[in-house]
Amino acid sequence: MEIKKQIKELVEAAKIEISKIQNMNELNDLKSKYLGKSSPFASLMAQMKSLSNEERPIFGQVVNEGKSEITLSLDEKRDFLEKENISRRLISEAIDVTLPGYEFAIGSKHLVSKTIEEIENLFIGMGYSIKEGPEIELDKYNFELLNLPKGHPARDMQDTFYISEELLLRTHTSPVQVRTLLENGGNKPIKIICPGKVYRRDDDDLTHSHQFTQIEALVVDETVSLADLKGTLLVLAQHMFGKDRQIRLRPSYFPFTEPSVEVDVSCGQCQGKGCSMCKQTGWIEVLGAGMVNNAVLEATGYDSKKYQGFALGMGVERIVLLKYGIDDIRSLFTNDLRLNRQFK
Amino acid sequence: MKFSLNWLIELVDINVSTDQLVTLFNLKSAEVEDYYQLTSATGLTVGLVLTCILHPQSNHLHICEVKISDDSILQIVCGAPNVNVGQKVIVALEGAILPGDFVIRKSVIRGIESNGMICSLDELGIDHKFHQEDGIHVLPLDTPIGSNPLHVMYLEDTVIDQKLTPNRGDMMSMMGVAYDVSAMLDSPIHLNQPVVVEIDEKIDLKVSTLTSECKSYYARIIKNVKIQESPVWIKSRLIAAGIRPINNVVDITNYVMIETGQPLHAFDFDKLNSHEIVVRKAENDKKFLTLDGKYRDLSKDDLLITDGKNPIALAGVMGGASTQIDETTQSILLESAVFDNLKIRKTSQRLDLRSESSIRFERGLDPNRTLYALNRAAELLQSIGLGTVVKGISSFESQNLKPSIVKLPHEKLNKVTGYCFKTEQVIEVLNRLNFKSVYEDGIFIVTVPTRRIDILTYQDLIEEIVRIAGYELIPTTLQASSLPGQLTQIQSIRRTIRDTLITLGLNETISYSLTSESEATLFDQTPQPIVKLLYPIAENKGTMRHSQLPALLEIFNYNQARKQQNIALFEIGKGYFQSEEIEYVSGILSGYLDELAWQGINKPIDFYTVKGLLSALFQRIGIKEFSFLPPQKNYPQLHPGICAEIISQGEVLGFIGKIHPSLQTEKGISEAYVFEIGLRKLSEKIISNQKVKEISKFPMVSRDLAIVVDKNITADQVTQCIKKGGGNMLADVHIFDLYVGDKIEIGKKSIAFTLSFQDFSKTLSTDEVDNAINQIIQLLLIELKGTLRV
Repeated sequence: MEIKKQIKELVEAAKIEISKIQNMNELNDLKSKYLGKSSPFASLMAQMKSLSNEERPIFGQVVNEGKSEITLSLDEKRDFLEKENISRRLISEAIDVTLPGYEFAIGSKHLVSKTIEEIENLFIGMGYSIKEGPEIELDKYNFELLNLPKGHPARDMQDTFYISEELLLRTHTSPVQVRTLLENGGNKPIKIICPGKVYRRDDDDLTHSHQFTQIEALVVDETVSLADLKGTLLVLAQHMFGKDRQIRLRPSYFPFTEPSVEVDVSCGQCQGKGCSMCKQTGWIEVLGAGMVNNAVLEATGYDSKKYQGFALGMGVERIVLLKYGIDDIRSLFTNDLRLNRQFK
Repeated sequence: MKFSLNWLIELVDINVSTDQLVTLFNLKSAEVEDYYQLTSATGLTVGLVLTCILHPQSNHLHICEVKISDDSILQIVCGAPNVNVGQKVIVALEGAILPGDFVIRKSVIRGIESNGMICSLDELGIDHKFHQEDGIHVLPLDTPIGSNPLHVMYLEDTVIDQKLTPNRGDMMSMMGVAYDVSAMLDSPIHLNQPVVVEIDEKIDLKVSTLTSECKSYYARIIKNVKIQESPVWIKSRLIAAGIRPINNVVDITNYVMIETGQPLHAFDFDKLNSHEIVVRKAENDKKFLTLDGKYRDLSKDDLLITDGKNPIALAGVMGGASTQIDETTQSILLESAVFDNLKIRKTSQRLDLRSESSIRFERGLDPNRTLYALNRAAELLQSIGLGTVVKGISSFESQNLKPSIVKLPHEKLNKVTGYCFKTEQVIEVLNRLNFKSVYEDGIFIVTVPTRRIDILTYQDLIEEIVRIAGYELIPTTLQASSLPGQLTQIQSIRRTIRDTLITLGLNETISYSLTSESEATLFDQTPQPIVKLLYPIAENKGTMRHSQLPALLEIFNYNQARKQQNIALFEIGKGYFQSEEIEYVSGILSGYLDELAWQGINKPIDFYTVKGLLSALFQRIGIKEFSFLPPQKNYPQLHPGICAEIISQGEVLGFIGKIHPSLQTEKGISEAYVFEIGLRKLSEKIISNQKVKEISKFPMVSRDLAIVVDKNITADQVTQCIKKGGGNMLADVHIFDLYVGDKIEIGKKSIAFTLSFQDFSKTLSTDEVDNAINQIIQLLLIELKGTLRV
């Protein structure tokens, strides 16, 4: 059949042309050339009218088959060109991802605050509340009710800034314990920590600061024991310095606790073998603690026959120095941004 | 307290090494701060100077021949002026190492060979203050040649330096340390009662007190005293204890004080005007010449030792010059007394005369050692053959000499420690402590010797038992919590503020509360009374700050001086006033908040940056209503035209503003913006029970509007007016532009708003929005003479 041959030639010519095109415009041109109103197919379809009824369907089928074959080729080519376009665009849009991102201002938390919050969080988890109190304090709360009457030799342990005979800058946060004991009227269990600024009449040097931060803990209940204190100290030491740390207690003296202990944490630098950091002892003194002296309980309205308790206290700056390897306590008060900004 | 280890070994058996002993002290007794050899010198021998001629090339060096053994003579060049023939001297041989890692080598000194060194005490590491000898040390003539000079001089010793807590006054004596060692090691202690041989002669001496602050007083008279240097063993033990040897009498009083803890004093008996000792308060005596040659101002309550009329000593603190021991002294009055500890503390503190003696009085003495110490001193003086003890002791005694009884219920011990102590275990520890005890009905009844005046309660006994038994016995447990742990509202707000400001780019600081008076009050709006220290360490740290801003300015300055350009700081802390402490959040900002990015977008910090930061902060912590308004009060340190009060619900929470140019120049800093807000006031404005606001289903219609008003009309006034005119339909008012310039009338400004309208029941028609806009324009015209910009 003449027509079959003609269509076949037409399709082959179209395919060759399609294979040569480079872009969408050429594709659209080709589409209208072969399938548009003035295309060979259009004129072939026009010839249909002159064909016999028998010939017409066969002719039509052949023409349509040719048309759809070209359409398919064009669609394939279109897909191909589209993909090519996208990938070309993606390549051209690529950026240097190593250039810095937008530098949002992000500030920094002071290491002392950071450490206070960490310790607070630990103790809150163990059921403690946080208590605060004034820094300008009565002698009565800072000393007298803590078993440190006027003239007591142990007052030398904490050189004091006095404002008047009865008023001073608190030398520890223990007056907050006293205030809490008094508030509770002698018949409620207590479980608190007291963070805050304290002041001692020391000259500032590498390890001393006339102002520093203390966190004390106080637990008063009917059965709380020295063993509970030791357990709490171990949790604290391992939380602050690492799971592998050990503690040891040594006798000490604070008028408000009896027994009183110094608490050493095993040195992390030498794992207890002895190094310059721990002065060859394998241990680093970190805090003081003890069982609440009955004199304090009685003075604040607690019956020492029924209640007992423990207290512990630490200097936050000392922990910061040990933990972050800072050797001068004064640098925590200088607020050199080159240091502060290291800790977001 | 520092002491000689040899001395301790004399009093108690020690079967462990020095290192082990130190560890035990640390774990069970009192912390050892340091321990070291009294001298670390090695390679020493005793030599005899055979010849000594002047060095031909020097006017001060000598060439000596020194015999160090029967068959060995060394030539040594010596620079000491006191070297001489016939002296027994300390020779450091070749290879000797002296303190400071000074190695002795053969050398040639100005052409003459020198094979060692003749040593001074300083060169052995004995501090000059202890011997005050210039030049080489000369040994007694009978010192054997070739012997070890350190041995001869009792310098082969270890010094142990313990850090004592104020409760352990008993450990300020060798006897006290020995008792603790005995308990730690469970080893026997060797103490004998002193033996005094009196001569038959008796001298009448009356002793009395006019005040109960003298608890006891014992006195002995010793005749035929020859004042001279003490034997070397006494001197070396005093040096180990850090006490300068003076003469035999003074040294023995010091020696006995170190041994027993009981301070003693010796008066030159012949210089006393009477044979009477009366202890009394100073009363009308205003001045007293102490033995260091200084006149001391007396307070009327100071305790004096008198001869019945005139003071001869400031009790427990220092003796008087008039009865001082000197080379001519022939008879002495030895005093062993106990005075009220608070009184001694007060006087010694006031006169700044804290001494070995006053510290011991302050911390409390064993009442049974007052007489003991007196006799021990007499015994020692006698034993070194330097005096004869006159018959009898004159005394006054009011102390309780009986031991106290303390009861410790066994069950209490276990309940407090959380450890199950066995009865025998406790008895064994008490025995080691030399405390007698009986166990009855579950109670340890303990007889506490008077040397342990610190042990008064069962808690004190628990401490003794636990420290000697060992803290490692105590298990580690955690108390089951019956209480909820939580932050209070103000505590969690403080944390949110801290975290938010950090997220917004500010750096937290912590600074000193104490500052100078002028800095403390620098930001006061009206003068406020200050809180001042009685005795500051420095004038610029004598006053409690009212504001944190001066400290922030200083930190700002510090960082700017270190080439930090962009500075944003904040601090959460207190201002301290006479009536209250106010917690603030304060800040200072300058430069750029964001680092200049390569994209080229950043904007210098100005008033509105800081205002925006604070607005973000307020929203973050839940404050809905707040405004920044021109201040009602005067803020002299702020730019008067660039500052505002932060107001919420009609209350001023704080202020914000630019540092006044004058202050900026004074401090030498660049332009900076500050804020200070009261934390408690802020927290009171927080809406804690906020409910969800309904979201309209109907679309929002926005219109832009530029309003021209007088320059002095605030944006807030215009906004309020727009809100009033817009009514309920007006959902949002947003300012997007401000214009001042030649396109509008002079003295006017144009503020451009985007107004958003929305209704909850219907879609708004154009007419409805137009009406609302017209109403707004009308109201602006009436209330603010505002016009639409065309």
